Amino acid sequence: MGIYDDVVEVTRRTMVLFFVVDTSGSMNGAKIGTVNSAIEEIVPELKDISEENADAMIKVATLTFSSGAKWINEPISAETFRWNYLNAQGVTDLGKAFDELNDKLSRNAYMGDISGSFAPVIFLMSDGEPTDNYMDSLEVLRENNWFKKAIKVAVAIGKDANKRVLSEFTGNPEAVITVHSPEALKKWIQFVSVTASQIGSRSANATGGQSAPVTGEQTEKPKSKINLTKQEEFIREIKAQEAAEAEDWDDFDDGGIQW
Amino acid sequence: MVVFQKGQRIKSASGGEIEILDFLGAGGQGAVYKVKYGGEELALKWFHSNKLYENERFCRNIENNIRQGAPADCFLWPVELTEFISGSFGYLMKLRPPQYREFSHFLLAKVHFADISALINAALGIINGFRALHNRGYSYQDLNDGNFFVDPKTGDVLICDNDNVTPYGENLGIMGKCRYMAPEVVTGGKRPDCHTDRFSLAVILYMILFLNHPLEGKKTMCPCLTEELEYRFYGESPVFVWDDYDDSNRPVRGVHVNEIRLWKIYPEFVRKAFGRAFSHEALVGGDIEHRVIEKEWQEIFMQLRDMTMKCSCGSDTFFDVNEQSCECINCGKTIFRPMVLKVKKRNIVLASGSKLYTDCIEPECDDFRKISGEVVGSITDPTVLGLKNLTDTEWEAELPNGSARKFTKGQVVKLGRGVKIKFGDVSAEIN
Repeated sequence: MGIYDDVVEVTRRTMVLFFVVDTSGSMNGAKIGTVNSAIEEIVPELKDISEENADAMIKVATLTFSSGAKWINEPISAETFRWNYLNAQGVTDLGKAFDELNDKLSRNAYMGDISGSFAPVIFLMSDGEPTDNYMDSLEVLRENNWFKKAIKVAVAIGKDANKRVLSEFTGNPEAVITVHSPEALKKWIQFVSVTASQIGSRSANATGGQSAPVTGEQTEKPKSKINLTKQEEFIREIKAQEAAEAEDWDDFDDGGIQW
Repeated sequence: MVVFQKGQRIKSASGGEIEILDFLGAGGQGAVYKVKYGGEELALKWFHSNKLYENERFCRNIENNIRQGAPADCFLWPVELTEFISGSFGYLMKLRPPQYREFSHFLLAKVHFADISALINAALGIINGFRALHNRGYSYQDLNDGNFFVDPKTGDVLICDNDNVTPYGENLGIMGKCRYMAPEVVTGGKRPDCHTDRFSLAVILYMILFLNHPLEGKKTMCPCLTEELEYRFYGESPVFVWDDYDDSNRPVRGVHVNEIRLWKIYPEFVRKAFGRAFSHEALVGGDIEHRVIEKEWQEIFMQLRDMTMKCSCGSDTFFDVNEQSCECINCGKTIFRPMVLKVKKRNIVLASGSKLYTDCIEPECDDFRKISGEVVGSITDPTVLGLKNLTDTEWEAELPNGSARKFTKGQVVKLGRGVKIKFGDVSAEIN
């Protein structure tokens, strides 16, 4: 068609999804195995979300922490991202991970895309107790503007995970999800990755019939949902998902389990 | 949350049997399945129950829309409701034929229009759909890049997600999608209605032509687009990238590549229309209820189509009939003034392959889709052009010397300056 043969895709902002994974020794075995396979399986879906989205492109970055913290990959586009299987050993230097995040959450580091970014999603997965002085590092990280605006979510794996620490990270206990089985871990990793990416990578949005209805007769001004932060919107999704799961549990047929 | 399996059967509201054939996709509001109903393959949109606020009222509204029927045939309109299952429900609509592609794929440059004529057709299709909707007293309320499917070859349009369509003055709680929401909706001062639809429509039209967002330029370049900044850029103080009086938000070289290249290619009346649609007054000033209406857009795009012709390089280009020559927008070659059909106050350039649409040749008609005539080149001498009648009406051509010739469907008469043509009740002259 001539002049339109050379058009490039519409200018999109970038949204980075940070996987921050505890690879300390206690994660060894089924826990890290499940994390690996759950993320590996969800990558094609992240790719689809990115490819279908004219608002933003999704990039994925991976940071691990055990004895020290290590970037497995800097932000790379979901279209080309491949998950590298992680192994677990060592202690739980969460503070080191916070230092690394603070370092890279900067326009001069990972957040420098020329067409700009949406606030990132930071997804922390841990099963234990920090072994370093994480608090000082978290104090510094909390002053980072990218961190302040980010959607922050954590999955606490098993009963030994310190949920208080994870809540300090997310800023909100409702953004900490506790899982006790490999099935739940897999399901929540995938739910969080997809939903947080969807919310994070689009412009502030209002979805059908969700917000309070207004009719012609009402006089008060409607409150635009742009007033709802993405973190709040995401928490609402977590709660809806939890509620939906509770709904499925609608009979007492326990399949013969002994109580 | 209800998830259907292949082969599962549910009931329609009227008691008919719906068989689930396939899962097609899921979005924020619900999932879409391919189903069989009454011997016909249809699409079923099933809402997630936790996404429905006041689902009874939401459902009644869709029921009402079903009763009213689609405003135009480009709408993938609800045709029947389903039963309620676990507090939720769905509705049936036509399936999207495979040649229709998602509008966002055009924005992502994965799909291109076959030519500018197809692009203009797509714009006209969207405009006409919303005109029909508004003329009926409805508003769409959630117009964004996810609502359209377009055939890249022809520009034919399908409008989907018609769940939030309500009569004027009503609103089901939808606010829309930020880059497409009118500024007064973003700032929370107003609920969506037909006036805010018109802002969204102008954004969509701009993006079809220029493949960038009309409010995103130098000023909106920021490292991190926070909710606060979105509020400012799209709500409180939006600035059109080509604003006549404010150059603070001009497109940025290397970033807003498409619009920088394409803006100047379009004729001035097109640029002026966008200038009006995104003027300060129309964005946040006194004209927010007097934005460019569909009828005006329709005239603008029809005028643009009238001046579109194929250059010998194979690309579509525009010819200004007030000029003696123009340069091809693609190859830059000089094109001398082709024959022009003056009809109904319009000037239609006649080059080989040009189409005459019914809106040009019938009185009081704006059917921009139906082709009534076509300009064809002679087989022996392609520079000799003729007009082929494709209608059931007899047309008459009259030469300057007064001799006349009638021609009917399939017949061609040779075109030349000074020839007059009667298309039934409408007269035209070529010059």
